[in-house]
Amino acid sequence: MPPRAPFFVPRLGCLLSLAFALAGCTSLSPEKQAERNRQLDDYRAGLKALRSGDLVSARQRLDSAVLTLGGLSVGDKTAKEARNYFKEESRKNFRGEPYERAMAFYYRGLLYWMDGEPDNARACFRSAAVQDMAPEIGITEADWTLLDYLDGLATVKLRGDGKDQLKRARKSARLNPPPDYDGQANVLVFLECGTGPTKYSAGEYGEQLRFRPGSAPGSLVQFVVNGQTNKFGPYDDLTYQATTRGGRLMDHILAGKAVFKTGADSFGDAAVVSGAILAIGGQGSRGAADEIGFGLLAAGLISKAVSAATTPAADTRTWDNLPNFISFAALRLAPGPHTAQIQFQTQTGQPVTTRAVTFTVAPDRDTVLFVSDRNL
Amino acid sequence: MNVLRPLTCASIAVVALFASGCASGVRNPSGVPVTVMKADEQGFVAGTGIESQDLVAVTDKMARSILNTPEIKGFAGGPPRVVLLPVENETRFALNKDIFLTRIRTQLNSKAQGQVRFLARERMQALEDERRLKREGSVTSNTNPNVQEFKGADFFLTGKLSGLTTKTKAGTSDYILYSFQLIDPRTTDILWEDSAEVKKQGLEDAAYR
Repeated sequence: MPPRAPFFVPRLGCLLSLAFALAGCTSLSPEKQAERNRQLDDYRAGLKALRSGDLVSARQRLDSAVLTLGGLSVGDKTAKEARNYFKEESRKNFRGEPYERAMAFYYRGLLYWMDGEPDNARACFRSAAVQDMAPEIGITEADWTLLDYLDGLATVKLRGDGKDQLKRARKSARLNPPPDYDGQANVLVFLECGTGPTKYSAGEYGEQLRFRPGSAPGSLVQFVVNGQTNKFGPYDDLTYQATTRGGRLMDHILAGKAVFKTGADSFGDAAVVSGAILAIGGQGSRGAADEIGFGLLAAGLISKAVSAATTPAADTRTWDNLPNFISFAALRLAPGPHTAQIQFQTQTGQPVTTRAVTFTVAPDRDTVLFVSDRNL
Repeated sequence: MNVLRPLTCASIAVVALFASGCASGVRNPSGVPVTVMKADEQGFVAGTGIESQDLVAVTDKMARSILNTPEIKGFAGGPPRVVLLPVENETRFALNKDIFLTRIRTQLNSKAQGQVRFLARERMQALEDERRLKREGSVTSNTNPNVQEFKGADFFLTGKLSGLTTKTKAGTSDYILYSFQLIDPRTTDILWEDSAEVKKQGLEDAAYR
């Protein structure tokens, strides 16, 4: 009879195969990852185009983005992958956190209003507000001041009653209370400034999603047109929106992954150590203790491999060209060409950026201006 | 003693540990598929918003309803002339609103066999230009171009899309009421009104909640 190989040799082979298989779960080709980042690309490119005045591209990219958001994610295989303990959250198709999704609708709404469609603009602001609701964590209503305010203003413009929306906007106003509606205002100025929040991961395995606050040195806007000086403060703070929600359902899944990873690792440690002690104690006699020791050793190594393959890291992909503050102003101006001096100032009134903007007020519909401290 | 038994136990334990990695511990982790309620057709639905099957169901119903209106059936002096007014969108879904009236118009034009005529007011600029060219003699005309032949509206057809959104732990629910009216521009009477309702609900995948 030929000599038998040590019984653990084939098991060790299985162990290595398993480790390789699990390691393979975590990688994704750059092309596939790019495909799953498409929504993020649309967000970034849409906003960049809007700031540069390329409204056609802005519409295209933001339309693509909000269409995706309009569909439910049921059946999204990449979302299922993200919930898998052995695949990273960042493998899922990017949709963004609620504040990012809300901003996509906000920008698309702004463009609709620019195109003379205030009802579709209002629809976008309403959809943006829905993104902010999270009944699973106790958030049953949105707390964006501007979304409610613009919803109400569009309603007033469409001969409706925007009182409820104004009331809600004032209730959620933390920075500045929005003024009464002026249904005769024909120039609508959408303002934004600063750099929005960014994401990072914390925790032992990076399983906790965290946000670095954004910043805006010039959050006050001085708008001078026809000799009239108007000052506007921000209404919504994206850092506040990103950081005050209290968590996601996905955080519980990631926490579960982290617990599993720790558990599998601890079990592996214990099994490897006790298995090694038993195996060494048996001194290769092929007795019961020897066999059990090698068995435990193998099980421990498998468990360590499983632990190593578990990926609890939070998805930190960020819509990174968002502003930190958004604001709005409605003015009455005569139809025709105008030039406005726009100055972003610090809270103490020190100028940060000053530029001139030339625009033409339409005679028969609202003229919408989008002013960012990055598109001047 | 069977030395393989402890090994088997250890292997089962590790496999169980491995398999448990696939469990998330979250209720309905894959989400709940969207369900179309009280609509004529039910197919694959991507979201809770306004979709093509809603458009078809609603406009079919409206077209049938308009043709059964006594004011249309018994209109004296030939087929009534109808002008479309823009639909108001009060939902949370941005959409091309005119598509509803366009489909009602095409349904009526193709199936009503001349019981109703629509006036091409959205082409007014081109029509006026053409008439001016005829009056100036720049192009030929089979009739006297100086006679006013542009017709006025006997009815206005318009509509409104109203929505109600509910978001709870169970998911998002969107109810949309599609209402359409036929208005007499002479008296402001609403001669006909009908509506259709669609309610949809669904739950996002846990990975996005």
